[in-house]
Amino acid sequence: MRAGLARHPGALVIFGLAAVTPLFVRDAYFLDTLILILLWGALSAAWNVAGGYAGQVSIGHASFFGIGAYAAALLGTRWQQSPWLGMLVGVLLSIAAGAAIGYLSNRLKGPYFALSTIAFSQVLLIVASRWRGLTSGSEGIPVPFRPGFGTLGLGHVAWAYLALAVAVLYWAIQVWLDHSRFGYRLAGVREDEDAAQALGIPARRLKVIAVTASAALTSVCGTLWAQYIGFVDASYVFSVDLSVRFALNAIIGGMGTAIGPFLGSILITSLETYLRATLSGMKSGLTGIYLIIYGTVLILVVRFAPDGLTGLATRLRARRVRVRA
Amino acid sequence: MSTAPGAPLLALERVTKRFGGLTAVREVSLEVRPGDLLGVIGPNGAGKTTLFHVIAGFYAPDEGRIVLDGRDVTGLPAHAICQRGLTRTFQIVKPFGNLSVEDNVMIGALTPLTSTRQAREEARRVIDVCGLGPHASARARALPLGLRKRLEVARALATRPRLLLLDEVMAGLNPTELRGIIELIRRLHADGLTLIVIEHIMAAMMRLAQRIVMLHHGEKIAEGTPREIASDRRVIDAYLGEEFVLAEA
Repeated sequence: MRAGLARHPGALVIFGLAAVTPLFVRDAYFLDTLILILLWGALSAAWNVAGGYAGQVSIGHASFFGIGAYAAALLGTRWQQSPWLGMLVGVLLSIAAGAAIGYLSNRLKGPYFALSTIAFSQVLLIVASRWRGLTSGSEGIPVPFRPGFGTLGLGHVAWAYLALAVAVLYWAIQVWLDHSRFGYRLAGVREDEDAAQALGIPARRLKVIAVTASAALTSVCGTLWAQYIGFVDASYVFSVDLSVRFALNAIIGGMGTAIGPFLGSILITSLETYLRATLSGMKSGLTGIYLIIYGTVLILVVRFAPDGLTGLATRLRARRVRVRA
Repeated sequence: MSTAPGAPLLALERVTKRFGGLTAVREVSLEVRPGDLLGVIGPNGAGKTTLFHVIAGFYAPDEGRIVLDGRDVTGLPAHAICQRGLTRTFQIVKPFGNLSVEDNVMIGALTPLTSTRQAREEARRVIDVCGLGPHASARARALPLGLRKRLEVARALATRPRLLLLDEVMAGLNPTELRGIIELIRRLHADGLTLIVIEHIMAAMMRLAQRIVMLHHGEKIAEGTPREIASDRRVIDAYLGEEFVLAEA
């Protein structure tokens, strides 16, 4: 960490390009893609803290995303509060929910934990769609655009830099996990919980901390996303699709690696945005075709790079070294 | 931290562990003094590994007391027992498979140490002691069984235990590997480490252990020096068989 980004050439290139792009590009569509890549990347990084680093694979992280999104949208529209306050409230609620889910992970292993996280997000989905008095149910909540940093009413360029700041921060948190005592011990828990305990590691406490932190980080991005998009509806923010997306970016990029979630997000977000834009305009029959291509790419990655793009890179590098030797 | 002279480092008082109707460990009492090398033998299913699970905090005993260094540790979780100076290995090795040998050992060293730099130095030292030097950067899951058993010991040693429980670290090894690990255990013991060793290989046990405890159907049926154990009628009947006695004679 002392040398910062210089010791991480991949991250330097990605975040460097993201920092430079808004200086030259003012095209809203392009900047929108950049912002989404960074936000989805940060969300997957948040997921990765639990799923990749702690081995607590959740398919219900939309819960925390939705909590963050709703907290800010409701406080903003009903009580005229700053979205930053909403972000804080969302984080606190997500910490409570994350601790509860994290505690569950001590009782339930593997697929049972994943299923319980899905169940949790589905419960929130039902509550948010039925509690019309508070959430307007399935009509959703439009988030009014009020210009200014305090209200998060920003232009595309400002959003790009805000998303970049969050992305770099989340990446740095993962790098810290790669090198810190906490991170090493967490890796032990992920690899073998019994062995970790036998070596003096309080495995359960570490898992709860990791899942809770992951929930809080996810919630922050949920707030930002809602303020950026300007609309919150229950069927999207609490959807399983969304939870899968967080996991998928990280799995495709490389679980348990700092840069993996961002690589996955670059591939998936740009592919999706491009395919949707080019294909859906042509004929109504092609509306869903991006999903097919998206699925095909996924199958290819899982088949040929089961440990993600970072794993593929490591293997190719190892092969090159061997050929040279 | 130091134990009063003569006081046991570990004492089990009538420890019992049941699984439903099965009593896996029945009223076992034993004492381990600082510097001891205690062997635990017994047929398959005698309750040896269950006893380790209970001592190391993986199972809470249904009855009885466990006293470590003068303090009652009955019912404490495994990580707390380790932090109090008792570390165990697993019969079925549990390496952190995706991590390097060095990282595996370093995670052990991070229990007593808070600095990752110091822990890495300590890991390298322990790796050398255990003869894993040439494999330090190998992925743990790529190691052959003999080296994985050594890794199991190295990782446990890195936690700086005062009492080390080894669960069949010799099983499945070839003669060369076997000599190496016996040599390692001897050296650790000579350096002052207290050990409890579960082993099936009787010849090794006879040479290593100062005292041997024999378990059968969860009960301690004999305890004594290797020579006493080898000539104990109940041990011969339950475990060793007549051939062993004849071969020894």
